[in-house]
Amino acid sequence: MTDLGYIAIILAFLLSLYGIAASAFGALKNRPDFVGSGRNSVYVVSGLVIFAGLLMWRALLTNEFHVEFVASHSERALPTIFKISALWGGQAGSLLFWSMLASLMAVVATFSFRKQGSSLMPWVNVVLLVYVGFFMSLLLFAENPFARLWMVNGQQVISVFQPTGAVALIPPDGNGLNPQLQNYWMVLHPVALYLGFVGMVVPFAFAVAALVTGQLGNTWIKLIRRWTLVPWAFLTVGILLGSQWAYLELGWGGYWAWDPVENASFLPWLTATAFVHSIMIQERRGMLKVWNMVLIGLTFQLTMIGTFLTRSGVVQSVHSFALSAVGPMFAAFIIITSLAFIGLLIWRLPHLKSENSLDSVMSRETAFLTQNVIFVLIMAATFLGTIFPSISELVMGDKISLNAPYFMRVNGPIFVALLVLMGAAPLLAWRRSGPETLRRNFLAPISAGLLSVPVMFLLGNRTMGGFVGVAIIAFVLAGIIQEYVRGVRARRQSTGEPLPTALVQLVRRNGRRYGGYIVHIGVLMVALGIIGNEFYQSEVDANLKRGESVQIANYTLTYERLDMVDGPNFTELIAPMTVAKNGRVVGEILPKKHIYDKNPEQPMSEVGLRAGVVEDVYAVLAGWDNMGDTASFKVFVNPLMSWMWVGGIVMMIGVLISAWPRRVATTAEATRRVPEGAQTA
Amino acid sequence: MTTTNDTPNEASPVDQTLPEGQAQPKGRRIPAFAIVLVVGVLFLGGLLALMLIKPPQKALCDEPAPDWSLTLFPEYTGGLATETINLSDFRGKGVVLNFWASWCKPCEEEAALLEAKWREYKDQGIVFLGVDYLDQDPAAKRYLEKFDITYANGPDLASKISKRYTIRGVPETFFIDPQGNIVGCRKIGPFVNEAELDQRIAEIKP
Amino acid sequence: MRRFALIRKTLIVCALVAVFALALGSGPAQIASAQTPTPNQINEVARELWCPLCNGVRLDNCDLQACIQMREVISQKLEAGESTDNIKAYFVQQYGDVVLGQPSTEGFNLIAWIFPILAAVVGLGWVAYLVVTWRKKQAAPAVAASGAPSGGQLRRPGEEPDDYMKRVERELRETE
Repeated sequence: MTDLGYIAIILAFLLSLYGIAASAFGALKNRPDFVGSGRNSVYVVSGLVIFAGLLMWRALLTNEFHVEFVASHSERALPTIFKISALWGGQAGSLLFWSMLASLMAVVATFSFRKQGSSLMPWVNVVLLVYVGFFMSLLLFAENPFARLWMVNGQQVISVFQPTGAVALIPPDGNGLNPQLQNYWMVLHPVALYLGFVGMVVPFAFAVAALVTGQLGNTWIKLIRRWTLVPWAFLTVGILLGSQWAYLELGWGGYWAWDPVENASFLPWLTATAFVHSIMIQERRGMLKVWNMVLIGLTFQLTMIGTFLTRSGVVQSVHSFALSAVGPMFAAFIIITSLAFIGLLIWRLPHLKSENSLDSVMSRETAFLTQNVIFVLIMAATFLGTIFPSISELVMGDKISLNAPYFMRVNGPIFVALLVLMGAAPLLAWRRSGPETLRRNFLAPISAGLLSVPVMFLLGNRTMGGFVGVAIIAFVLAGIIQEYVRGVRARRQSTGEPLPTALVQLVRRNGRRYGGYIVHIGVLMVALGIIGNEFYQSEVDANLKRGESVQIANYTLTYERLDMVDGPNFTELIAPMTVAKNGRVVGEILPKKHIYDKNPEQPMSEVGLRAGVVEDVYAVLAGWDNMGDTASFKVFVNPLMSWMWVGGIVMMIGVLISAWPRRVATTAEATRRVPEGAQTA
Repeated sequence: MTTTNDTPNEASPVDQTLPEGQAQPKGRRIPAFAIVLVVGVLFLGGLLALMLIKPPQKALCDEPAPDWSLTLFPEYTGGLATETINLSDFRGKGVVLNFWASWCKPCEEEAALLEAKWREYKDQGIVFLGVDYLDQDPAAKRYLEKFDITYANGPDLASKISKRYTIRGVPETFFIDPQGNIVGCRKIGPFVNEAELDQRIAEIKP
Repeated sequence: MRRFALIRKTLIVCALVAVFALALGSGPAQIASAQTPTPNQINEVARELWCPLCNGVRLDNCDLQACIQMREVISQKLEAGESTDNIKAYFVQQYGDVVLGQPSTEGFNLIAWIFPILAAVVGLGWVAYLVVTWRKKQAAPAVAASGAPSGGQLRRPGEEPDDYMKRVERELRETE
């Protein structure tokens, strides 16, 4: 059966080549039949890729250990959910999974734009097919997930087809999945992240199409706004889920280690965030056209570079896969497509002139532009930090370590500036803000920020970081609230609606704007979580006999006993601890250790967590002795961490509101839609 | 007011652009930022390519052994006169250069064998040198005591020697002939087979 | 291959490779006398150091035998009354900059520190340049302010600005 998967990949590769040629030919010679054929090949290619992926899943679920990938990344006793997620537990499988999601994205994009932007679509299809085709070539020439195990003269051979004189080698059981991936976060996190990565190909494809066709106005920007927001949301969720995984599974009390793989997911998020903002300037003011092109090109390339860095063996990291031909192929793809994109950009440069110019320093445009530059700055610094150990090794022959302290020192101050801008930009009007407007808009937020300092002091805070962080958060939050209050007040004055209706109507009518503010509130909550963890974390190590307690902050944790439970493919050791706050028992937490049958040398922590609004009590079982007579723990109190995850949810709600297709079009949108419809006709 | 936008003109750029888009304005030059972009991409591309093709590890097989200097543990000079030694001091002798660490479990498997062989060969022009990789004095000395090691041992400060010899882990052992050349390739992992060690030592005997 | 488990480059993150027996083995040694530093005092120092064998694992979170030994040394040095800075300097001498988790501020590695500053200067300089030149341009009637308008040849003349003006008006209504 898996042979069929291989054949499907070959067909998909050949068909994507055909589709590229047909779409391009159809577009150049104005032949709708070829354009249609190219579009159909997107559907067929995607169908084939998804078929291949389903076959791989079938092999995983039915324990086909004859297939090398299944034998290396699964086992009989693996719970079904992890058999499914085992697809992205290894290099070849995750490339296949990536291709599946890319195909899915291509189909949805092609289908949903079938009636709009018709002259752009052939070129969009070309880009989508180049992308999917590239992944097909990776699967065919570098990492084949369908290769099988054979024995030739007592030698184990991995090959798709039966070598001469080979006997099928079918191991009785597989090697099992990497224990790090055997938890629900690692089921969800890669899916969200990959969806974000592959989703960025759609706005990129439209950018390329706009450059090729010369339709460089706002059409493409408007078409892809949602298609940028949605992948951006997936990236955000993916990053936060990854943080959650690190927090709950790695057991060091933190959530972000500036690990190369983490950075790889962060880099495109930074430029995508810049892009999401700067397209607003182009839409409203017709400015920054070249900049937007560069940003979306950069975002797309960063989704590829991140993958390249972590998969090629160039940068070593926790989740890196082994060295293979994938590296050079990725490098070639990135370089060629970057140069081609820049070439297109230079060719179209005369038509990317700004329609407007900056009117004033105190304008939202300036704030946005600065914000954009800062995002790119963080990206550049993070990128450099990620590859610098490799550069240093190359040049000096000495691999240095470059970890959190570096990134905190470099990025910390930039993030602070960014947060301030996030508060200031919405308070600045487009074009220019007069001194009177400035005073009126900034009075309340700045007062709130300043007021937070004595309040924090009275609350007992003595940490500089806390003062600064909370003051900025108060400033930004007050600004957002002020925007809402004014909006609601204006609505109530003009329509006489009751307050709740006015609020709902306000958000419904201008979801983009007020949804965006909700995203900002989510960001503030995440920032609050970061501040809590960064400046107020308590940590204690304890070796405890049964019944002994350890004190941390105003909590007392008592080690009760060590239980041993058999899981499906692991043994679970649970050390229940009673948690008392100020002497009163408030609950029990269960720090655990999982020892996997197939990987006993790599035990996994499951932290015992009592999450709370104010703080989390977080305990890690580090070791034990004499069947649990004594056990050693690492206990943390992490203030405000829950805010981070709730903040993530709030951000998603904001994106949903912002991207939701609105039936009740505002007048401006209605006037905008008509010509667009006329255009496609 | 940006009045230009209101005027329904702009025929010129449109004409230039479409539908063929081939007509290029005369005398245009490529702006600086584009050059920066291209140079940036090429530079980054070149860098990535360099990183890709860099040999992951120098083989160090059958080639002159890089020289180094090592300050020995005072208690473990292996009968040498000085505490600071250079590899070049040992021209004329065969050198067994062993990288180890006290936290390294596999190292323990070969420790006793290495010591036994040192005692066997020390009068036949063979020197054993232990280089302690990423380790700490108290633990290292406990380890040396535990296995009753008597040959010369010293800590590899800042991993200088380990880096020159591009070790991937411990234990790793190099065999250096009296002319100062590495014979064969490094041995990765512990010696569990006495005959193998004997054979490797035979190759570097003066 | 499994025997040769401590291959530096393929080392899985140390925090996960907990060697229980060994982790506990070092326990009793630390609770010898009242003078001995507590695990928390050791962690205070260990928090500022990084496992030289792993990628990005802080010393206080590392359960590798090598890390346990390093903490043991911290303990001894604390007992001897050495300061945190002294201890850090000692580890740098022993292991190199790798234990600090950040590049040194000299030689080639200085680039890692200079580059972000340089990038900030260039980036913000560019914004300043844009603001200045665009404001100048605006002073003179914006001649060049009409690049390729929306929608290429299919654009309805005047559609965009109208749309824009309405938005600005609405915007003003909302904010005023």
